[in-house]
Amino acid sequence: MSRRILGIETSCDETAAAVVEDGQKVLSSVVSSQVEIHGRFGGVVPEVASRAHVEAVLPVVGEALAVAEMEGPDLDAIAVTHGPGLIGALLVGVSAAKALSLAWDVPLLGVNHLEAHLYAAFLEEPDLEMPLVVLLVSGGHTMLIVMDGHLQYRVLGSTLDDAAGEAFDKVARHVGLGYPGGPIIDRLAAQGNRDAIRFPRAMMADGWDFSFSGVKTSVVNHMRHHPDTPVEDLAASFQEAVADVLVTKARRAAAEVGARGICLAGGVAANSRLRERLREGCAADGLRSFLPSREMCTDNAAMVAAVAWHRLAADGPSRLDLGAFPSLPMPDE
Amino acid sequence: MLILAIESATNQIGCAIGGPDGILASAHTIRPRHHAESLAPQIRFTADQAGIGMADIDVIAVDVGPGLFTGLRVGITTAMAFAWALGKPVAAFTSLELLAAAVLAGDTDILSVVDARRGEVFHARFRPTATGPERLGEPAVSLPADLAAEIVTESSEVVLVGDGARAHIDHFVDIGCPIAPRPFDLPSARTLVTMAASHPHRLMDPSEVSPLYLREPDAKAKFGNSPGGPP
Ligand SMILES: [Zn+2]
Repeated sequence: MSRRILGIETSCDETAAAVVEDGQKVLSSVVSSQVEIHGRFGGVVPEVASRAHVEAVLPVVGEALAVAEMEGPDLDAIAVTHGPGLIGALLVGVSAAKALSLAWDVPLLGVNHLEAHLYAAFLEEPDLEMPLVVLLVSGGHTMLIVMDGHLQYRVLGSTLDDAAGEAFDKVARHVGLGYPGGPIIDRLAAQGNRDAIRFPRAMMADGWDFSFSGVKTSVVNHMRHHPDTPVEDLAASFQEAVADVLVTKARRAAAEVGARGICLAGGVAANSRLRERLREGCAADGLRSFLPSREMCTDNAAMVAAVAWHRLAADGPSRLDLGAFPSLPMPDE
Repeated sequence: MLILAIESATNQIGCAIGGPDGILASAHTIRPRHHAESLAPQIRFTADQAGIGMADIDVIAVDVGPGLFTGLRVGITTAMAFAWALGKPVAAFTSLELLAAAVLAGDTDILSVVDARRGEVFHARFRPTATGPERLGEPAVSLPADLAAEIVTESSEVVLVGDGARAHIDHFVDIGCPIAPRPFDLPSARTLVTMAASHPHRLMDPSEVSPLYLREPDAKAKFGNSPGGPP
């Protein structure tokens, strides 16, 4: 019998809800973004985000159920992101999920946001072969993960300082381009020369970890000493440096673990140059590349409901005293 | 009419079930920073003690603050979601009127003072009436010294209540203001049931409930811990 799970996601600046059947079929996926609210602050303001989630969470859940043509009590589970993320923001989703679980007498399940990002790919490509290398790149995370099977991961490396998306935001802010930095830099870079400036590729040859604070500083310093540099060239050269490091390491990881393919996940996976470089690199290495749609890269609740289907079968539901954990690590087995 | 009351505006997390005839069951715990963990199990426990099912509840009463932002959001989100899921109305009360209602006696004004942290207090003044405390003026946030000066100017007799008065007791003892005993320092879910039972006209749709923050958010962007969103 098919199982329908409601997913709820409020870990950062998107309030999202979705209904997914059997971890596979998206019956609805609703995302309410706060990006315009935070734009004037140049980044996500935790207290502002938490307040906005309180207002949005029930309308978003209501719409997700309506689109899926479901009544709450008919759900098989309610899954909610309980970490990592902004604590105040997470607590809104967790509180709502628990209240719905109590009121409708439906099992509750706490979901790891990072693990959910990995499962976004499976919603669009159910037959992804493993072992699979996943490059999880977002505003808060940069991780190189090997997925050996469902719910089986090895974290090879992560960022030692800034996350990739954070570097985009900070560069954009320092150069006065606005927020969010990712899409703005991507757009400008399309008009620029990516070989104009050679920015450093930190730790490209050694280990599995990443560091992006150096390239960010180089961009800021370059702009200070050469204020006449066209921002298009700056954006393209910076973006190239980031994509170069990410793709080079992911390809090396795939070769090392004998992966069948490389998959992108997280908000930075929407970056067009990163997608292009990964596609080319995989083609050259005889690997499958999987590039989820923009909707599946950024935060959404369909991925929460998708991973919940696997987790529920493996671990069973969570208890009602479920907490929220801002630094919840990727489950590493 | 069966009321489920949810209280988490301060360090105290509370839940009570009852109606016009009294309280069937209640539970209160003090677990700072654990509002979200404690509240839902407490609701189930209280319902079990009262011997009722969730569907038996007619009204959800909630404290909308002012108080601790995170605690408030946990309580309000829980109340809204619970009411919405069951198709029931919400009765919203401020922490300040709940404090006043619990100590109301005679005809002396009550000044409710909730700890706002950062050396400030949330406060409002109430006058006793036959139907409960009637608020005089808008709830506000002030420095305790300024509030004490205001009390002196007003010159009419007033009794203070709340953890804000307790935390800054020196300011108020100096001007000779009595403070209600310690058991009344924090708003309770039991008072919420009583207030909701005696104010049936205060019912609203869950979508209309909103927290009373009384303070603008710190507009400081946070980097490095945002797990997602656009790059
Ligand atoms: Zn994310």
